[in-house]
Amino acid sequence: MGLVKAKIRKTKTGSGASDDMVGLSAALQAADPAERRSAARRLGSTTGCEAALLDRLAFEHEASVREMLVLSLMQLGTQDAVRGLAEHLRSEDASLRNAVVEALEAMPDAVAPNIELLLADHDPDVRIFACNLLVGLAHPDVPKWLSHVLENDSHVNVCAAAVDALTEIGRPDCVPALRACARRFPEEPFLSFAIDVAIARAAEQ
Amino acid sequence: MTNALPTPSAAEAGARRFTWPGTRVLVVDDAITIRLFCRQILEKAGFEVIEAINGLEGLEQLLQGTIDLIVVDVNMQKMDGYEMLREVRRQPVLSAIPAVMMSTKSKPEDVDKAYAAGANYYLFKPIRPEPFLACVRLLTATVQ
Amino acid sequence: MSALASEGQGAEGPPHPLSDEELAKFSEFFYRKTGIRLDERKRYYMERRIVERIRRTGCRSFFEYFTTLKLNGAAGELEALINEMTVNETYFWRENYQFECMTRSMLDEIARRKRPGEPIRIWSIPCSTGEEPYTIAIHILEYWARADSYDIEIFASDIDSNVLKRARDGTYDERSLSRLPPQLRARYFKLVSERRWQVINELRSSIAFGSVNLSDPLETARYRQIDLIFCRNLLIYFDDVSRRLAAENMFEAMSPGGFICLGHSESMSRITNLFRPRQFAEALVYQKPAPSRGA
Ligand SMILES: C[S@@+](CC[C@H](N)C(=O)[O-])C[C@H]1O[C@@H](n2cnc3c(N)ncnc32)[C@H](O)[C@@H]1O
Repeated sequence: MGLVKAKIRKTKTGSGASDDMVGLSAALQAADPAERRSAARRLGSTTGCEAALLDRLAFEHEASVREMLVLSLMQLGTQDAVRGLAEHLRSEDASLRNAVVEALEAMPDAVAPNIELLLADHDPDVRIFACNLLVGLAHPDVPKWLSHVLENDSHVNVCAAAVDALTEIGRPDCVPALRACARRFPEEPFLSFAIDVAIARAAEQ
Repeated sequence: MTNALPTPSAAEAGARRFTWPGTRVLVVDDAITIRLFCRQILEKAGFEVIEAINGLEGLEQLLQGTIDLIVVDVNMQKMDGYEMLREVRRQPVLSAIPAVMMSTKSKPEDVDKAYAAGANYYLFKPIRPEPFLACVRLLTATVQ
Repeated sequence: MSALASEGQGAEGPPHPLSDEELAKFSEFFYRKTGIRLDERKRYYMERRIVERIRRTGCRSFFEYFTTLKLNGAAGELEALINEMTVNETYFWRENYQFECMTRSMLDEIARRKRPGEPIRIWSIPCSTGEEPYTIAIHILEYWARADSYDIEIFASDIDSNVLKRARDGTYDERSLSRLPPQLRARYFKLVSERRWQVINELRSSIAFGSVNLSDPLETARYRQIDLIFCRNLLIYFDDVSRRLAAENMFEAMSPGGFICLGHSESMSRITNLFRPRQFAEALVYQKPAPSRGA
């Protein structure tokens, strides 16, 4: 019959690039994407190599390598990783920005100390991303941060992002902030609609 | 939900007859409030609405069913709106589906990028019901 | 565990039944986290399971439970919930449309890329007690006309060595065999005791069983140039990071153009953008793109 019993290969260890940080950092620049991916993967379990991963992330255009760079930084989960990733929220490259939001929301403890700074950024896009990442961030201060945005941010789209985040979270204690936001933008049909939805979701029985 | 949308003007009501029964619009946005807002407007105007949370899920929906129009956001995880539209334009079975891109980004180069990726129309966020509906009607009327 | 179910709304009953808004909030959160859409029509079933988790975690209300679940990322609770919400079993011919897709569409496309003598490699992970890899094998032998022209290798892995032992042994009862057409049972099984059937030796020995943790790159490194992966009903149990690691490991293990089949309530679109959806007449599957993509 056509079925043949396969042999499961022995794991080849130490194949390709050497395992020390210098060797792996060099391999991040290799021409072959598979080699770059493998180096990025192995750097994810070595603390102290955030800089190498972040440097490469700025130039990497192969999607599969980029995924691995971000995943490794996520696994490191350090302050250096967070700050370096957050810088890329300003990137002109949409897929990089969004990969960064996704990574940041998965590292709540390291991200938390940076949230207030991000929410105060002069660039509304960065503030929108900060609200976006709060949706998935498992941290008890999320409602407080979002309420602050609703009461103070002057940009309608930043507020809309905060309303959306609260809709997903559904917190009755944020209803006053939602109402305050509605009063600040009475002319915006989308925002009034979204705030109504958020309030309905937050309503506790 | 207390927030009623503005009642359609006579012209808009007249335009309703151009809405083919069962015209299906795919709304791709990671923001739940946007998806609900679009849904409310579109269903009231007689469209059928399908939702997706990111570009990849959008592609899955497109491959699985007949979709007449795509409404897509720019920033989404896993696959952003540009990449999704490029993929749609690359696939022969999907390439003819018209698409509206909507975004908080309003610089001319952002608009150019949307058209380059394959959008047929661009709307700034926050979207307003009348221009949104007008654009949806325009693009779905062309295909039929 | 099933005490609550038989009690119904007894004295110990739920803290309070869930409101529409609570259920909507919950469904959305669950969907966002797992990609599983909870079926509105099974509201009673869902509600009972949520209430069971509220009770077991010692929370006093849905609000308290939901808040801890969301904001504190309550370790292990999401997995427990998923276990409550999903049916955890395996059987022959499960989600059969995917095997039909394999023999009617995917294998032909895979075969077109093969040079003479190159094997076709299929990997069932997690294979649990073996029903899935044996189903794959029987489907190929029965329904793929070109099976004789190719060397086809089937790997089957699971993290749990106990289930692997049972998989190698290949003895099943009526329940797991119920969907298998009777003439195929006669052809590929022998009766070994009352109501227990064992897969014939020839078939058992053609499958390479091995223990593998899909989230561990060192363990998956032994699997390369795989053309088709069945990874069904596993990723839903993982958290976000392990899910991505698992997807990365599958990507590494596959040949360009290779396919992945997930369980019917699972979707790659929440996990990674490494793969592209592919719609065949029989099923939606995921494909590893050819290398030049996106350049
Ligand atoms: C519900 S069964 C799925 C069986 C079969 N694929 C099906 O769909 O019918 C889930 C299996 O996943 C296995 N599993 C759990 N974690 C795993 C991991 N990290 N790597 C490999 N298998 C794992 C369990 O041992 C269990 O046998």
